[in-house]
Amino acid sequence: MKARALRTALVRLLLAGGAFLSAMPFLWMLTTALKPESALYQPPLLFPTHFEWTNFIRAWQAAPFPRFFLNSAVMTVGIVLAQTLFSAMAGYALARMRFAGRNLLFFGVLGTMMIPFPVTLIPSFLVVNALGWIDTYNALIIPRAVSAFAIFLFRQFFLSLPRELEEAALMDGAGRLTIFFRIVLPLSTPVIAASAIFSFLFAWNDFLWPLIVTNSPDMRTVQVGLAMFQGQYGVFWTLLSAAATIVTLPAILAFLAAQRQFIAGITNTGLKE
Amino acid sequence: MKANWLKAIVTAALALLSLGTAQKLTFWHYWDGANGQVLQGLIERYQKEHPGVTIEAVFVPGGELLTKLQTAITARQTPTMAISDLVAMPLLTRSGALAPLDDYIRQSNLNLADYFPGPLVYGLYQGKRYSLPVSASNLGLFWNKNLFRAAGLDPNRPPRNWDELLRFAKQIKEKTGKWGIELFTQGGEGTTWQTQVYFWGAGAEFLDANNTAPAFNSAQGVRALQFLVDLVQKEKVAPVAPWGLFGRGEAAMVMDGSWMTQFFPQQVNFELGAAAFPFAPGGRPATNMGGEQIFIFQNADVATAKAAWDFINWFSSTPVQVEWDRGTGFLPVRRSVANDPAYRAWVSNARPLMRPFVDSMAFAKPRPPVARYPQISDVFAKYVQEALLGRLSPKEALDRAAQEVTPLLR
Amino acid sequence: MVNGVRLQKTPSKASWWRRTLGEWPAVLFFLLPTVAVLGTFNLYPALYSLYLSLFEWNGLSPAREFVGLANYARLLASGEFWNSLRVTLLYAGGVTLLALALGLGVAVLLNQPILGQSVYRVLYFLPVITPTVASGVVWKYLFDPTQGVVNRGLLAVGLEGPSWLSDPSWALAAVVVVGVWKRVGFNMVVYLAALQGIPRAYYEAAQLDGAGPWQQFRHITLPLLAPTTFFLIVTALIDAFQVFDLVYVMTSGGPLSSTDVLGYYLYRQAFRYSELGFASAVAYVMFALIFVVTVVQFRLSRGGGQGEG
Repeated sequence: MKARALRTALVRLLLAGGAFLSAMPFLWMLTTALKPESALYQPPLLFPTHFEWTNFIRAWQAAPFPRFFLNSAVMTVGIVLAQTLFSAMAGYALARMRFAGRNLLFFGVLGTMMIPFPVTLIPSFLVVNALGWIDTYNALIIPRAVSAFAIFLFRQFFLSLPRELEEAALMDGAGRLTIFFRIVLPLSTPVIAASAIFSFLFAWNDFLWPLIVTNSPDMRTVQVGLAMFQGQYGVFWTLLSAAATIVTLPAILAFLAAQRQFIAGITNTGLKE
Repeated sequence: MKANWLKAIVTAALALLSLGTAQKLTFWHYWDGANGQVLQGLIERYQKEHPGVTIEAVFVPGGELLTKLQTAITARQTPTMAISDLVAMPLLTRSGALAPLDDYIRQSNLNLADYFPGPLVYGLYQGKRYSLPVSASNLGLFWNKNLFRAAGLDPNRPPRNWDELLRFAKQIKEKTGKWGIELFTQGGEGTTWQTQVYFWGAGAEFLDANNTAPAFNSAQGVRALQFLVDLVQKEKVAPVAPWGLFGRGEAAMVMDGSWMTQFFPQQVNFELGAAAFPFAPGGRPATNMGGEQIFIFQNADVATAKAAWDFINWFSSTPVQVEWDRGTGFLPVRRSVANDPAYRAWVSNARPLMRPFVDSMAFAKPRPPVARYPQISDVFAKYVQEALLGRLSPKEALDRAAQEVTPLLR
Repeated sequence: MVNGVRLQKTPSKASWWRRTLGEWPAVLFFLLPTVAVLGTFNLYPALYSLYLSLFEWNGLSPAREFVGLANYARLLASGEFWNSLRVTLLYAGGVTLLALALGLGVAVLLNQPILGQSVYRVLYFLPVITPTVASGVVWKYLFDPTQGVVNRGLLAVGLEGPSWLSDPSWALAAVVVVGVWKRVGFNMVVYLAALQGIPRAYYEAAQLDGAGPWQQFRHITLPLLAPTTFFLIVTALIDAFQVFDLVYVMTSGGPLSSTDVLGYYLYRQAFRYSELGFASAVAYVMFALIFVVTVVQFRLSRGGGQGEG
């Protein structure tokens, strides 16, 4: 009994240590955001003792952030919705439906992830340009409306779902659409949450593509705003940290919302072995 | 008489025409923060003085500007004009996308002889000029006066040559336990452009006169690299470590850029000094120069291109450049600015740390304007690292670097 | 029960469809967006890039010089490339395996009702969210030879640590540590999601049979997580083969190319050297390597998880 208590304590300690290690750079960022420039190189590094709140105001005013937030929000919402729906559909087809060329298609999807972005940038830009989408939300959203990564994630999740329910419904003559939307998706909230949070982060943090396909300052996103503090002639650390903290906040909130779906036992409803 | 009369009519007609056709120019740049605000202020004034012209200045982060220009040029979606770091100019002048400026320069009587010659080279390709320098920066010595004092050195006397540099560094290490000098050892362009200053200071050249072959593996080059290797390996007054020791007060001296005369004073908690960088005994004063160049794209129609040139011509004029350099802390690209009494008075009063950097413009050298400079720079830096880590002798390292650089100059 | 009514009514129609066309209408419907978008914005650019790999082109000049397979030949003859490949394999292997084990461990722990469960989840996920520049600064400081926590800790137990990021023999290890640090939270989230898909009934049945926690983990959790593990390994390898920003911020590929992963090598060719033709060749060699590894894994795991459906 004693050994068990000791083991539990040890596990807790490790868990807490790991959590601290994970949080450290973020803490540094917060602390730096609250420092006056003159204290940049001075300790403390992880817990604030200065409270230079004006950094946040100065950072916010250094660029048209309200507009950047709006653009990022539109782009992110569009991408998250499209990627989640389309990728879940494709993942389901790849996991459950039988058709010729299924593995070929699956590897085709995987393959698109394996071509590094730097070499497809110019060709992709030419496509978007030919469509006349430069400087539009179309260019920000549609080329990324489907995510190979999310398709793969959904496919793997659906593979591990017990198939009894679907088979029962098929027997009853239900169509694939009904099965997918009424049976499979409701069972999939955890993976939908995971996929959505990754789509969110992908869109929210994306920098190069939005920069390349927009020219007007009115179409720029928050990451371009952050780049303004990482100048050719040195980084404005305190302002960058303040701006980065503001910009990271929505991502943390999104994660908080999503992780509530990871509650053990959510899929028990209706699944009897 | 008749000709004059005709001329008057034509001029009047042209004036009317330019009033009627509003010009909209787009201008891509990477001047962030305060620099961007100074640019915006100048543009607004220009627009007020030139009704009918609007200039949309678009900020593009510096690291991505070349990529953005590439995609824009490939898709023929270029802005009217843009700037670029001078290192990328050889690629841009060869792209066929820039408009030659020679006719404009002649018509406007822009005095090119007034420009410091180094960066001017970057705008030339096949006998034509495609760009003009609009800003400059260079490297110099910063030192920590508190550490000098603690080591028993005169805090107001920087080292003037390498012998003194070494002597001071050793004394600092001995007395304070801090590093004598910080070198940029992380490789890439950071290492190369600092090392070039030592090479030039020892009388070595980086490439030959035609930029067709490496020249850094000369006796003087080996001497310069040996000096750096000794600082690290023999005297142990400089570490091979991530950059940033000087700012934290861990190293007493550092080579850094003129722009740091703005940043360091806000960031460090010690007394700062700045001076021209020391050179080898028997060598020559030297520093490396960076900066931006401005250019017009081919795609613009004649009237738009002319309007863009008019802005560039205005922006390049001595009074506007004085204002620009005062607002941004960039170094002058024209002698008339560097010698302007108001500018000099401003430096002495408001930015005394900048003084040695302004004076160093007289001997500042640019990096060779070759298209594959980034590759060459990376190869060179890698072998400098090999030598600093004691894996290769300076001679061996430079010979190997030369071997790898040669095909890149073809 | 509108639902139930519809379910009753459809069979005859559905079976007619199914008899003539099989699953094809449904397959088309489910896959159309994917095929359209990936085809236009991923596949086409990828093929274009394959075509570019046969040229020498700097992305700017109007002229492209056709060089055939010369870019590939040059790449395979380049010592720098082989070094990068070696570094990448070490990095990929290290990060993939360590982050997989740690991510699973954290997920299993945080799938239990533990005090501060959601706070822990956020903290472990923070590395994924934290901007890479900030992570780089802090880790560089942690690995600082004299000031850094790592070496101070080592000193406390009587060891003298290396100057991590400046030492060619240790820099990669340091970068792997940061890569793992950044990946654990990601793996945790995916495992957490997958753990929700395991019906509790399985565990209840096992408990009735007298299986302990370890046996339950070994015989229920692990096998049922197999498709997820396959996903995490494949995506970790893909990411590790393309990692760039982390290395750029931490070491810029140095010292002496000891951390010059392929992603950074490619970045230099494409963006710093503007060698787009050559960069495309690099990209396709990378593609071939990852693809082969993935197919092998797919075969070994029999369809990337249990059963091919």
